Amino acid sequence: MALIDKVVKRALTCVMATAVLASFAAHAEDVHVLNWKGYGTDEPWALKEFEARTGYHVVNDFFNSEQEMLTKLRTNPGAYDVVMVNSAFNQQAREQNLLQPVDVNGMPNVADLDPKMRHSHLLEIGGQSYGIPWVWGVTSFAVNDTKIHPVPDTIQALWDPAYKGHVGMRDDAIEAVQFAALATDQNINDIKNLDAVKSKLKALTSQLKTFWSSENDWNQYVASGVFYVSTYWSGSAARARNKFNLPVTFVIPKEGAIGWLDSLSIPKGAHNVNGAKAFINYMIDPGFYTQWDSRVGAPVSANTKAVAALPAAAFNRAVLANPAVQSRIQFQEPITDDKRRAYLQLWQEIKAQAD
Amino acid sequence: MKQHNTAGPLELDSLAISTAPHTPSRRPWSVGAALGAIGYGYVVVVIGFLYLPILVMALMSANASPLYELPFHFTVHWYQALADDGVLKAAAFRSIEIALWTTLLSTILGVMASLAFFRYDFAGKRFLQAMLFPPMAIPWLITGTAMLIFFFAIGIGRGLHAILLGHVALALPYVIIVVGARLRTFSPELELAARSLGASGWQITWRVTLPAIAPGVVAGALFGFAVSFDQFVVSYFLSDPGETTLPVEIYSAIRKGFTPEINAISTIIIVVSMGTMLIVSRLYRFGGEQ
Amino acid sequence: MKFALSSPQGRPLVRAMTLAGPAYMWLLLAVFLPLSVMLFYSFMSDVPTSGGNWSLTFQNYLTFLDEPLYRKLMVRSLGLSAQVTLICTVLGFPCAYMLAKVIRGRSREALFLLIILPFWSNGLVRIFSWNMVLRSGGVVDWVLNHLWPWPVDTDLMFSYPAIVIGLVHSYLPYAVLTAYLSLQAIDDSLIEAARSMGAGRLTILRRLILPLAMPGMLAGAVLTFVPVVGAFMEPRLLGGRKGTFIGTVIEDQFVAVFNWPLGAALSFTLLALVLAILFIGMRLSRRKDK
Repeated sequence: MALIDKVVKRALTCVMATAVLASFAAHAEDVHVLNWKGYGTDEPWALKEFEARTGYHVVNDFFNSEQEMLTKLRTNPGAYDVVMVNSAFNQQAREQNLLQPVDVNGMPNVADLDPKMRHSHLLEIGGQSYGIPWVWGVTSFAVNDTKIHPVPDTIQALWDPAYKGHVGMRDDAIEAVQFAALATDQNINDIKNLDAVKSKLKALTSQLKTFWSSENDWNQYVASGVFYVSTYWSGSAARARNKFNLPVTFVIPKEGAIGWLDSLSIPKGAHNVNGAKAFINYMIDPGFYTQWDSRVGAPVSANTKAVAALPAAAFNRAVLANPAVQSRIQFQEPITDDKRRAYLQLWQEIKAQAD
Repeated sequence: MKQHNTAGPLELDSLAISTAPHTPSRRPWSVGAALGAIGYGYVVVVIGFLYLPILVMALMSANASPLYELPFHFTVHWYQALADDGVLKAAAFRSIEIALWTTLLSTILGVMASLAFFRYDFAGKRFLQAMLFPPMAIPWLITGTAMLIFFFAIGIGRGLHAILLGHVALALPYVIIVVGARLRTFSPELELAARSLGASGWQITWRVTLPAIAPGVVAGALFGFAVSFDQFVVSYFLSDPGETTLPVEIYSAIRKGFTPEINAISTIIIVVSMGTMLIVSRLYRFGGEQ
Repeated sequence: MKFALSSPQGRPLVRAMTLAGPAYMWLLLAVFLPLSVMLFYSFMSDVPTSGGNWSLTFQNYLTFLDEPLYRKLMVRSLGLSAQVTLICTVLGFPCAYMLAKVIRGRSREALFLLIILPFWSNGLVRIFSWNMVLRSGGVVDWVLNHLWPWPVDTDLMFSYPAIVIGLVHSYLPYAVLTAYLSLQAIDDSLIEAARSMGAGRLTILRRLILPLAMPGMLAGAVLTFVPVVGAFMEPRLLGGRKGTFIGTVIEDQFVAVFNWPLGAALSFTLLALVLAILFIGMRLSRRKDK
C-alpha cells in the first residue's frame, strides 16, 4: 500500500510539474514579430511549418510606416522579438537604442547570405550585426501591357503626355524625390540639383490620376483601368501578376531604379532571443523562400542559395539577379532627419500646387 | 425609452392644420399640399443620397471579383469566407461591446455635464465649454499619438481599457453639445416651478428635465455609439495586436489584401443595426406624453 | 438670457462641479493631459528620444508664419470646411423640418432610423464605395450613359467635388439630427397662432421657426465644421493628387517623418484658429440678438 501511495504521489508530482513547466513553456515559446502586413512573416502556412519544426508559436503585429514602426518599438519595449527594419532606417533605430546586436551562432543559413549585404555598412557596425539581410527589391514602375505596348525601357514613360491622367505613384516624399533624381540622371543619395528635381516633380503631378498607398490600392486601380503606368515595388509586381492575374510588366529602365534592402533585427529587451534567431533563420531558408515566391510572390532573397533554388524563369532569378540589371540599381542610404523634412516640405509644396 | 415626443399638447390638431392652409391663398390649388409633396420628394432624395454608397457596398459584397471589377457576378463566397474568419468576427464583436460601454458612459457623464452648464452660471464655465473643442478639432492622429505616449508613460499601456478610455473621451464632446442644444429649447421655468413645489434636485432631473430632453439624450447616445464604433485612428494606436477592433482590422486589411469580405461584414452590421433599431422602436411605442 | 438655478443647498459652483466633474475628470486624464504633453512637444526642436538633442524653441510655430505652404493649406481647409458645413446645413434643414413637423407616425420613426444608420457603416468602406460610384465606369457614369442619348464619360473621382461629396455624405446626418432636435421642440400651437394671425409661410419660417431651430442648427454646424477642418481620410482617398490639406500635411509629420513637434504645433495652431472662428461667430450672433 505504502509503495503504491509513493508511486502515485510521485507520478502526480511528475504530471503536475510537467503541466506547470508546459504552461511556462507555452508562454516562453511565443515569438512576437513586427512587420508590414502580408509581407512574408505572417503567411499561415509558413508559421505552421515553423512551429512544427521548432515549437515556437508566432504572434504577429503590424505597422503601416517606418515611423510607426519606430514608435511601436519605443512605446512597447520588450514586446517584440523580431522586427523588420528597412536597412536605410537601421541607423536611426540603432541611434534611438532600439536594437540589439544579433549573435549569428546557431543560425546556419546566415553563411549563405550575399556577403555584400551581410557586411553592408548599413547593418554591420564594428563587426556586430544589427540586422540580418532578408530580402531586397527595387522600386521602379510597372505598365499595364494591354494598354501600353511595346513596354517602354525608359523612366520618362511616366512623363509621357500620351498617358496623362493614367499615371500613378506612391505619396511618399523620399520616393518622389528619388524618382525625379533618377529621371534627371542624379545619384539618389546625393542630389545636387534640387531645382531640376522640383520641376520634374511638378510635371509629374500633372500626369497623375491619384496616389496609391498599398498593394491593394494599386491592384484595384490597374484592374479598373485608372492606371496605365505606375511606380511599384518589384515583389508586389510579381504578386500582382501571379496572385491577382493582372497584365502587368515590371520595368527596370536604363536610367536605373531605387533599391532597398529589408532586414530582420532583434529589438532591445526582447524576451525570446532564441526564438527570434530561429525565426530569422527560417525566414532566410531556401525552403521557405521558394514557397513564398511561388505561392505568393516575393522580393529577392538575400540568401544566394535561396535565389538559385528558384525556377530559372522566375523574375527574381532571371531579371533582378542579372548583374547587368543590378548595376543600374541604386540602393537607398540613410537620410538625415533634416534632409527628410526638407524633402517632405518640397513634396508638400508641389502637391499643394496641383492644378 | 420615450422617443420623438413633441412638447406641444396640440399634436392632433396640428396634424389637421399643417396639411390644410389657413392663410388666404391666391392660388386655386393648395400650396400647402404642393409644398408637402415636394418636401416628401426631397426627403426621399436625401435618403437616396445617404444610402447610395451603402447600397453599392452591399452590392459589391455579393460580387465575385476580389478587385471590385464589374461586370457583376453574384456569389456568396465572401460571406462564407467571413463565416470562417474568426479574426474579423471577433473584432466586430469587440467593437460592438466597446461601443455599447462607450455609449453608456459617455451619455451618463455627458448629460450630467450638460445639465451643469444649463442650470448654473459659474466662473470658468466658458473655459470648460471651450475645452470641448480640442478633442474634436485636433486631428485624431495627434490625439491618438498623444494618448499612446501618455498612457505608456503613466503605466496604463494599451489594450481594451485604454481604448475605452479614449473612446469615451472622444464621444463626450458630441454628447454634451447635442444634449446642450436640446436643453436650450427647454425652458428653465419648468425646473424652477418644480422646485417651488418642493421637488428635490434628483426628482426634478429624473421626472421633469430628462423626459423633456429625451430626444436629445437619445441623439447624443447615438452619436456616441457612432463615434466609438467607427473610430479607428485612436483604436489603432491603443489596441493590442491580438485584440483589435473592427475598423482597425478593416484599415489593416485595406493595406494588403482588401477583399469584399470587408463589404460582407459591413453589410451584415448595417442589416443587423437596422433590425435592432426597428425592433426597439416597435417595442417602445411612439406616444404623446406631457 | 439664462437663469441661474441657485439651490438651497450649496453654491452653484459646487453643484455644477459635482455634475460636470466626472466628465471633465475623464477628459482630463484621457485627452487634456496627453494633449498637454503634445503641446509641450510642440515647443521642442526634437522629440526627446534616447540619443537626441533637443531644446525649447518657438520655431515650429514660427514656421507657420515663415512658410506660405501651411498658411495656404490652412485657408484651403477652412474653406473646404465652411463649404461642407454650409451645404450640410442647407440640405439638412428642410429634411429635418419635414421629419419634425410634417411627417407623422410610423413613417417618421422609420425615416429617423434610416437617417441614423449610415453612421454605423464603416467610414473607410463608405469612401471606397464612393469610389465605385463616382469613378469612370461607376454608378453615376453608368446611369448618365443610360439616360443621356450620346455617350458621356464622367469621372468625378480624385477631384475636389469628390472630397466635398464624401464629406457632406459623412456629416449630413449630424445636420439633420441636430436641427430635428430643435425643430421638434417647437410647440405646434405657436405656429398655429402665427398662422391664425395672418402670417404667411415665409414670415413664419423666417421669424418663428428659424430662430427657434437655431440652437440645433448651430450645434450641427459646429459638429461638422470642427472635425472637417482637420480631415485627412476623405481628402486623401477621394482627392487623389488634389487632396492636400492641412490635415494630410499634419499626418505626414507623424507618418512620413519624425517631426512630431511641427505636427503638434500645426495642430494647435489649427485649434486656435478654429476656436477663434467659433468665438467670433458667437459674438456676431450675440450682437444680432440684442
